[in-house]
Amino acid sequence: MREKTSQLTGHMERLPAAATASDGTSSGNSVFLRAATFSRPDGSYGDIVVSGDAVLPVLPALAELLPAGGLARGSVVAVDRSGLLCLALVAGASAAGAWCGVAGVPDLGVVAAAGLGAAPARLMLVPDPGPGWPQVVASMLEACEVVVVRPPARPQAEARRRLEGVLRRGGGVLVVAGEWEGAPVRLRVTRRSWAGIGDGYGSLRACRAEVVAEGRGAVTRPRRRWLWLPAPDGTVAPDETAAADLSFRGSAVTGEAARAAAAPRRAAR
Amino acid sequence: MKAPGQAAGADEPARVLAVWCPRWPEEDASGAEARAFGEVITVVEGFCPEVEILRPGLCLLAARGPARYFGGEDALARQIADAVTAHDVVCHTGVAAGQFAAALAARAVRPDSTGVVVPPGGARQFLAPYPVHVLAAPVLAGQLARLGIRTLGDLAALPARDVASRFGAEGTAAQRVARGQEARRLATGPQQADLSATLEFDPPVHAEPAVFAAKGLAEQMLAGLASRGLSCVRVRVEVTGTDGRESTRLWRHDGLLSALAVAQRVRWQLDGWSPGAAAEDGPDESVCGIAMLRLVPDHLVPDEGRQLGLWGDDLISGRVERAAVRLQAMLGHESVAHPVLAGGRGPGEQVMLVPFGDIRDARHPADRPWPARIPRPAPATVYPVPRPARVIDAAGVPVTVTGRAAVSASPDALTVGDSPWLAITAWAGPWPVTERWWDERNATRRARFQLVTEDGIAWLAAVELGRWQIEARYD
Repeated sequence: MREKTSQLTGHMERLPAAATASDGTSSGNSVFLRAATFSRPDGSYGDIVVSGDAVLPVLPALAELLPAGGLARGSVVAVDRSGLLCLALVAGASAAGAWCGVAGVPDLGVVAAAGLGAAPARLMLVPDPGPGWPQVVASMLEACEVVVVRPPARPQAEARRRLEGVLRRGGGVLVVAGEWEGAPVRLRVTRRSWAGIGDGYGSLRACRAEVVAEGRGAVTRPRRRWLWLPAPDGTVAPDETAAADLSFRGSAVTGEAARAAAAPRRAAR
Repeated sequence: MKAPGQAAGADEPARVLAVWCPRWPEEDASGAEARAFGEVITVVEGFCPEVEILRPGLCLLAARGPARYFGGEDALARQIADAVTAHDVVCHTGVAAGQFAAALAARAVRPDSTGVVVPPGGARQFLAPYPVHVLAAPVLAGQLARLGIRTLGDLAALPARDVASRFGAEGTAAQRVARGQEARRLATGPQQADLSATLEFDPPVHAEPAVFAAKGLAEQMLAGLASRGLSCVRVRVEVTGTDGRESTRLWRHDGLLSALAVAQRVRWQLDGWSPGAAAEDGPDESVCGIAMLRLVPDHLVPDEGRQLGLWGDDLISGRVERAAVRLQAMLGHESVAHPVLAGGRGPGEQVMLVPFGDIRDARHPADRPWPARIPRPAPATVYPVPRPARVIDAAGVPVTVTGRAAVSASPDALTVGDSPWLAITAWAGPWPVTERWWDERNATRRARFQLVTEDGIAWLAAVELGRWQIEARYD
């Protein structure tokens, strides 16, 4: 962290005055540099660093779910079975100029990520990191502020501890698509309903999803929010309408009730 | 400004013969293609030892000397074409003054012949009808087209001073090309200093580590050139194997060579050259390796400013590049990629993964209308290979789509791969897509559906020839 800060200070001195004035935005107790390209005296380009002391920015709709109001540097966020939620978590930081690594997700929807605001030009993809994935992730964390990983197997305790150490030292954020024992924040989608599609007509337009954040420490009490995931324009927005109203066509409820309702139909087949 | 008739003169570049293999996939030349093109180069080197390679599929040679030996440019072009065609490779040749005109001449070949020869002094006339988009500078070409300068002839006719003041070094180079001249004047004068860069490998290495080393070596070479205000458009790559064999190739670039571009060319060269392949005393892996790599810049030009049309050089910072190189050393060059948005209808076609450090443009640009593209929002999970699925109606009969895009019955349940059946709660489609019907090999005819299952997940499904596939998941 100290190294990054001193690096940033170095860049600030080289920044043209106008860029410093327009690109430094304040958010809480941290200052983020927006994606600014600036050249060194020798004409080469400096590292683009999103720096701040505690958190990386997230999309406004997700800020309420996270105890730090963003992705706390040096921490792990586990996301359970939602590709779009993973992408949405990193989109805010990516839009602000961070590099984002993705390991073990060969089926990443890059177009969806771009629709959420992530910059494809600052994505580094390793679709198949293989059995040495903890080492791959550690290497990616040296370059990228955020790394999304889908571990090929349940992570061993030793690998977890090593990566957590790398995170603490480097100040990166690891978003795990899957299980991560002891993750301070776990996000999952409990219910969702699609709008715009019917029984043979329309098309998928938007999805209302209930996202629950659980974890240790500040989030021992689960936080629930209804989000448009995605909204009709491909972004993520808070859903202001009544949370309990699930009257859309094609609505679906995950849980025992839905399975029980569907079971007799399958049995009849 | 010179009058059109005066173009031929002291300023006309040397005669160049271009050999172009039209079937070569220029955009993604991976190992196998580069290796196969090595055979073509070997054939062409039989006519003239100094062959410049622009990229797999296109190479150039100075035509003057060989033409005199083989009885004229026509005869030389015909003999080279025959020799290459004997290796089952379709090949076109073009002879003209300057590499740009020669490469276009090779492309102008009609099906019934194998070569086009543009007479001396005729390059400007030959180039005049071509649209400005043939220049390797898409942004500049777009600006010119909007200003009503649509052909190279229009561009050539503009006053040189106005072009320089409006479009800078890039515009001047483009205009010189359009006039049938060399894009950049060669830096003449004695070269006292040795500008080459050499790296010895101890212990010897295989191809992959050598390519990584080449990137650093190229930077070192370019830094040496830059300190003298020079840049280079052609580089000689010399590789020496532990068994004493050498491979020397000349690589030319349309613009100026960057460090990444040099490393890419070293990769192509090494792909086509495996030490030990020619060793007759058996495949002994331990003694076959690369002992030395040497980069010699030649065709130096004054450095007039930024590089033409290369993607991403200013976006990838040193920190990220170092990490990517380390990962590539661990996993292989192709394993670390960055995505480039491309045009297409299906979700998988809209993204192209480019190995980190390579420069590649999307095959189809993304900013064009794509009728029948899948509607927004985009799916968050796009399977690289579609997963087989089955869809049945309420009676348990597989759902089919007729040739006129009518569905046999409402889809009622879906299974993806071997997973359990899920009830379908909503669906939309079919959206028929008939793509590339003119191309027998790549034609597709399918109908797409969106399905929502009981667990709240939505799927993008496609049915082709009665088989259901899941292309993407909205989750």
